[in-house]
Amino acid sequence: MNIFPENVTTYAGEIDNLFWLIFTFVAIAFVISVIALIYPMIRYSNKNSPKAEYITGEKKKHFKWITIALVLLAMSDFVILVVEHGTWDKIEMNPPTDGVRVGITGIQWNWVFTYPGPDGKINTSDDIVINEMESELHVPVNTNVIMELRSRDVIHNVFLPNARLKQDVLPGRTNIRWVNFTKEGKYELICSQICGVLHSKMRNFIVVDSKEKYDAFMKDLYEKHNPKPKVDSPAKVATDSLQAKVPSADSTAKK
Amino acid sequence: MENGQHQQSFIQKYIFSTDHKVIGMQYAINGLLMAIAGGFLAYVFRYNLAFPGKDIPLFGQLSPMQYNTFITNHGMIMVFWVGMPLLLSSLGNFLIPTMVGTDDMAFPTLNMLSFWIFFVSSIVLLLAFFVPGGAYGGGWTMYPPLSANAYMNPNPDFFQALFSGASLMLLAVALEFVAMLMGGINFVVTTINKRAKGMTAFRIPLIVWFIDIASVIFMFAVGPLVAGAFMLLLDITVGTGFFDAARGGDPILWQHLFWFFGHPEVYVLLLPSLGVLGEILPVFSRKPLFAYKSIIYMALFSAVLSVVVWAHHQFVSGIDPRMATFFSIGTIIISIPFAGIFLAFMATLWGGSIKFTTPMLFALGFIGLFLVGGLTGLFLGSNAFDIYAHDSYFVVAHFHYTLFPDIFFGFFAAFYYWFPKFVGKDLDKTLGKIHFWLTTIFFNLTFFLLFFNGLAGEHRRINNYSFFGNVNKEPYTTFEKICTVGAILLILSQFVFVINLIKTLRSGKKAAKNPWNATTLEWVTDSPPKHGNFDTFPVVYRGPYEYSVPGCNEDYLPQNQEN
Repeated sequence: MNIFPENVTTYAGEIDNLFWLIFTFVAIAFVISVIALIYPMIRYSNKNSPKAEYITGEKKKHFKWITIALVLLAMSDFVILVVEHGTWDKIEMNPPTDGVRVGITGIQWNWVFTYPGPDGKINTSDDIVINEMESELHVPVNTNVIMELRSRDVIHNVFLPNARLKQDVLPGRTNIRWVNFTKEGKYELICSQICGVLHSKMRNFIVVDSKEKYDAFMKDLYEKHNPKPKVDSPAKVATDSLQAKVPSADSTAKK
Repeated sequence: MENGQHQQSFIQKYIFSTDHKVIGMQYAINGLLMAIAGGFLAYVFRYNLAFPGKDIPLFGQLSPMQYNTFITNHGMIMVFWVGMPLLLSSLGNFLIPTMVGTDDMAFPTLNMLSFWIFFVSSIVLLLAFFVPGGAYGGGWTMYPPLSANAYMNPNPDFFQALFSGASLMLLAVALEFVAMLMGGINFVVTTINKRAKGMTAFRIPLIVWFIDIASVIFMFAVGPLVAGAFMLLLDITVGTGFFDAARGGDPILWQHLFWFFGHPEVYVLLLPSLGVLGEILPVFSRKPLFAYKSIIYMALFSAVLSVVVWAHHQFVSGIDPRMATFFSIGTIIISIPFAGIFLAFMATLWGGSIKFTTPMLFALGFIGLFLVGGLTGLFLGSNAFDIYAHDSYFVVAHFHYTLFPDIFFGFFAAFYYWFPKFVGKDLDKTLGKIHFWLTTIFFNLTFFLLFFNGLAGEHRRINNYSFFGNVNKEPYTTFEKICTVGAILLILSQFVFVINLIKTLRSGKKAAKNPWNATTLEWVTDSPPKHGNFDTFPVVYRGPYEYSVPGCNEDYLPQNQEN
C-alpha cells in the first residue's frame, strides 16, 4: 500500500524520496534510542541491580557516549539538509519561467480560475475568469504550468495532494508556483488554510488533458467568452479588484 | 525567623493568599479545570470527525462554525490555560521557594496578583462562547485578515467589535501574558536573591534552573506578540490596517510576531517538564543525574537558538525561499542540544537501581513518547518535505506527540512525585499505575494513526473529510474512527486519576517527610510544609543529586546534611 496519494507530477516523487531518506535516519535513531531506553530498565531494575553506581557523567569516559551520539545526529542532519535543499531549490527557488500560465485566486469559499487571453498573460484585461463552485481548471499534460496565486480576501492555501504542493495565498501578494503533470486525470485542489465557516467545503479540481484535448478546450473557451482587450475600461479585472490597488510583491511574475 | 503563625481568615488563607503553595495549588486547580474544558471540546470535534453529521452524545449537532470554534479554543486552552499554569506557574510556585530553601517568593503580593489576573483571563476566554457570534473560530494562530474581520456584523460599532470572539480571545491572551510575566519575574528574582546559604548556582536543582530559563525565554519573546496582539485588536475594533494589505499593511507581519513568540513558547512548555524528569530519574535510579552541568549548558544554548527558528512555521506562507533555508538549518540544529538532554536522561538510568514507581513510569513514558514526537519533527523541519506536510495531520500527530507527553506526562509525573509533600498524603500506587498504563495505551491509539492520514494528504481543520477523495477511503476513514475511540477512552482513563485523588484526600495515609529518600531541600521540611516552609533556613553543603555516594551509609546524601 502506498502511503502517499498517487504521484502525478515531475517533482512529487522527489518529495516522497526525501521522506524515505529522512525516514531511514529516523527509524535507525528510533530503534537505537528505544534499545538504549528499554535495556537499562531491565538490566538495571531494582531487582537485577540492587546497588547503583555513582556516575556523575561529567567525566570524559562517560560523556563521550553522548558526544558520539550527537556527532552522528549532526552528520545525519547535515545529509538531510543537503538533500532537502536540492529539492527546495528546484521547487521553490529556481522555478521554470516558460510554460502555460494560469491564475488561481482564493475567495471565501471558492477557487477562482483565470485563463490568459490571447496575450498569454494573467491579470490583464483579456483574461477569462471562471468563478463557479466545484469548477475545473484545465491544464495540459507534460507542460510546465506556471500558477499565479492570489487571494481576494483572507489567507487561503493552494493544496494539490497529488503534486505534493502547498502554498499560502495572501491578499496583496502574488505567489508564483509551478507544476508539471505527467499523467492525465482529474485531481483535487484544496484549501488548506482555515479561511472561515465553509473552509471545509473549499475544494475544486485540476483537470490534466492531453495536448490535443487541451487545445480543443481552449479553443472552445475562447469562442464562448470571446476575450478581447478592453482598452477603455481601467484595470478592473474580476479576479483582481483588490490587487489592482496594491503594488504586487513578486519580482519574477510579470516580465 | 518569621514563621507566619499569626491568625488568618479563610479568605486570606485560601482565596487571596500570598503563600506560594496556595497560589501553586490555585494555578494547578485552574489549569486542571481548563483541561476538562479543553478535553470536552476535543471529544466533541473528534466524535464529529469519526461520525460526521451524527448527533454527538452530551452535545448534539455540531455546526461547521462551532467546529472551527472548538478546534481553535481546544488549541488555545491546552497550550495557554493548561500547559502554562500546570507546568510553569504551578510547579514554579510550589518548587522554587522550597527547593532553594526559603520561606516564600520574592514578591508575594505580585504573586497573588499574578494568579488572579490569570483567573480573570480564563473567564474572559470562556466568556467569548456566550457573546453574539460566539468564540473565535479561525485557528488558534489567529492569522489576519480572517481574525481582523471576524465579527458577524459587517459594520460593527466599537463595542460590538470589542465584545466579539476574536477581541475577547486577544484580551484573554494579553491578560494571561501579564500574569505569566509577573510569575516569571518572581521565579527569577526568588532564585537569584532568596537562595539558602550555600546554594551556589550549580547546586540548584535542574527544575529550578529550567523554570527560570523558561521564564527568561518567555519574557524575551512575549514583547513582540503583545505588540502584535494590540495592533490586531486595533484592526478589529477601530479599523486600523496594520495587517490589511489593501491599506499598506501586511498579513505576514502578524505571522512573524506570532511565531517569534510561538516557537520559543514550545520550549517554555518543554523545559519545566524536562526539569521534572531531571528530578525524578535520579531519585528512582538512585544515581546522580548524568552530566548535570552539561544539561544546563545545552539548555542555555537551545534557549538562545529558540528565538531564531520561528519562521519554520511559515515555509509555505510566501516568505522569501532563501530565508526558509536559514530557518531550516536553525531548526535542525536545535534538535542537537535537546537530543543531548534526552540522552543524558537516558544515560542516568544506566548503572542505576531502578524503581518503577508511578512518577517514574510517567517520566519514562514521557521519554518514550517524546522520542516519536521529536524524531517526526525532523521531517517537518526540513523545508522541502514541509511543502507537502505543512498543515496536515502529520503535523497534528507530531505536535500531540510532543505536547501531550510534555504537558500531561510531565505534569502527572510531578503530581505523583510531589503530591505527598505538598498535600501530605500518599496516593494509591495501584491506581496510579493503572492511570499510567491506560493513558499511555490510549494516547497512542488516539494519535499514532494520524501520521498516516497526514501522509495521505489529510489537511487540518476540516469538519468532514468525506468530501475529499484522497482520504475518503479505507483505511483512512477507519483510522479516523479508531482515533476517536482512542480519544474517548483517553479522556475516560483520567477518571482513574480523579478517583485516586478523591480517595486519597478522604482516606489517604499521612505522608512521611521524605517518602522517596530524595536529596533536595523540599524533602527536609514537613509534609505539607507550613506557612514559611522551614523552621530554620537550611544550609546547603552539596549538589542536588548525591545518590549512592561511595562510602556512605545511606544511598542518598541530602543537600543540607553536613557530612
